[in-house]
Amino acid sequence: MAYLLVIDDDEDFGGAVASLLESQGHEVAVELDDAKAMDRLQQRRPDAIVLDVMFPENPIGGFELARKIRRSFQNLPILMLTAVNQQFPLGFSNKDIDPTWLPVTEFLEKPVDFGLLVERVNRLLQAGANENDD
Amino acid sequence: MEADTASHEPATAIFLLRPDDDDPRPRPAAEIDDAWADRQLLDQNAAWFCRLRWLVAGLLSAAGIAGLLPDGFERIGLRLTPAWPLSIAAVLVLLNGAYALLSRRLPVRPLLWVQILVDLVVLTVVIHFLGSTTTYAPFMYLFHIILACIFFTRRESAAVTVAAAMFYLGCLLAEFAGMVAPTTVLAAPVPALVGEISGGIRMLNVASVFAIWAVIWYLASRLAGELRQRERQLALANQRLKASSDERARHMLQTTHQLKAPFAAIHAHTQLLSGGYCGPLSEQAQGVVAKITARCGMLSQQIQEMLQLANLRSESQSNPPAVEIDLDAVVRTAAARIEPAAAQRGIQIETQVEAVRITAAEDHVRMLVDNLLSNAVNYSDDGGAVAIACRRLSDQAACLEVRDHGIGIPADKLPHIFDDYFRTAEAARHNKASTGLGLAIVRHVARAVGITVRVESAPGQGTCFTLTIPRVCIGAARSPRREGVA
Repeated sequence: MAYLLVIDDDEDFGGAVASLLESQGHEVAVELDDAKAMDRLQQRRPDAIVLDVMFPENPIGGFELARKIRRSFQNLPILMLTAVNQQFPLGFSNKDIDPTWLPVTEFLEKPVDFGLLVERVNRLLQAGANENDD
Repeated sequence: MEADTASHEPATAIFLLRPDDDDPRPRPAAEIDDAWADRQLLDQNAAWFCRLRWLVAGLLSAAGIAGLLPDGFERIGLRLTPAWPLSIAAVLVLLNGAYALLSRRLPVRPLLWVQILVDLVVLTVVIHFLGSTTTYAPFMYLFHIILACIFFTRRESAAVTVAAAMFYLGCLLAEFAGMVAPTTVLAAPVPALVGEISGGIRMLNVASVFAIWAVIWYLASRLAGELRQRERQLALANQRLKASSDERARHMLQTTHQLKAPFAAIHAHTQLLSGGYCGPLSEQAQGVVAKITARCGMLSQQIQEMLQLANLRSESQSNPPAVEIDLDAVVRTAAARIEPAAAQRGIQIETQVEAVRITAAEDHVRMLVDNLLSNAVNYSDDGGAVAIACRRLSDQAACLEVRDHGIGIPADKLPHIFDDYFRTAEAARHNKASTGLGLAIVRHVARAVGITVRVESAPGQGTCFTLTIPRVCIGAARSPRREGVA
């Protein structure tokens, strides 16, 4: 069992993701405010993060938060889950992951297939566990 | 755009969508005023004056050369010495050369005024030689008056008319005062007759000429003014339509974005139910959830297409960066993406690709290929086949071809298939889930990327989209990194 933190401003969506991951036996917390996310992380380090990009106060809050998290938690797996590609024609995908400007581990587009989401979270947790072993 | 229908069997129709088919964007309303309209007219027609001058120089040269021939004009009662027409033609040639040089350094309007005034002087000299009172030559000033009415404001055209009258009057006074000897091209008997005309009659003739010019100026300037007014009204109406269309696009983008978040939550919850993450469901409940999931899939597709289209139309969003992409890889990925949905209906996707690298916005090309391919699958019959191919045409162009053997498109509907929400009756019957936005997206991307789309279709036999893609696509500046976003 792992402890996962879902950071998404949509309570319903975050709740659904939490239910999904809980059904897989994980402990899940949901944080709706990107500004409070770092405090939450400092209080208890999760095994992986599911992070949204667009927040009401800051449309690129997820990108900024990912960089902040990476500075404090170098090996923490981050799964970025977003509909930003629908809003802006930017075509973000895994190929855009970059240690400096988009330091996430995986990138998935909303609406997301839950089977795929479970698979990616498990992969992330496995990779995180292997890194800790090393 | 153009469409033509072949007369032979089968009834295959062809439609060509060029990247520059859309209307050019109109000027902002604030800039559409009299001065703007006049500037537009001047800019577009400044070359006219020079062309006319070449024509006049040619005519004068021809007249001068004819004058060199013995008895060239005598037979028709004219006496023309070659010196003055050839001299004036030479002057016009020199002037045209000078104007061509000056046009690169001076603004259009002052240069045009210089041209008009100099032309009036030259014309006055021509009229003097032709016969200022003995021929109808003074009516040649009307060319200048009418052109001024077309190209200038009413006040300015009136100034040209007055200037023409002053030059003509100056010519008459100079001749009357004996400063220059009156001349004419008419043969001998007529000057004898002219000599009998009294001073009063001459003045009356001159006054009549001026009166005719004034009437013609009034009519021409009024008509030209009304036409210009119409043009301005049309430009404003066009601008309002454009603003309304932009507003609609913004509204669509906003509304669709607002739909997106609740939809993502609904979609997520249906997956929780259908995936059994909330415990087992009865068979009936599973059926209900399956229907909700299917509708969610359609809604997801619609939201995605509406957002893509709104993004493409939104002027506030810059084009995505152009990068080097392998068209064949984009085609393979798109084919793999649609393959499961096609397989459910027994449709085979045949991919024939050649390695082609183009420079374009990747998202644009992906949208284009995805939409054409899903369009082909959507309108194929179950158990059919869809072929997609890409190849190099030359160093400058690549070709993408998407062919289906489905319902086809009637010839009269072909020019409309790229319109928003357009679907033929047959298409609506065949695929109820389609939004009718896929080909509108294709049109916008084709315009942005500079692609020509050729559509060949026959009802009941299928449709073939052939795209000619410039290998270095237009519409987006090269940028390897999305610095502006992060």
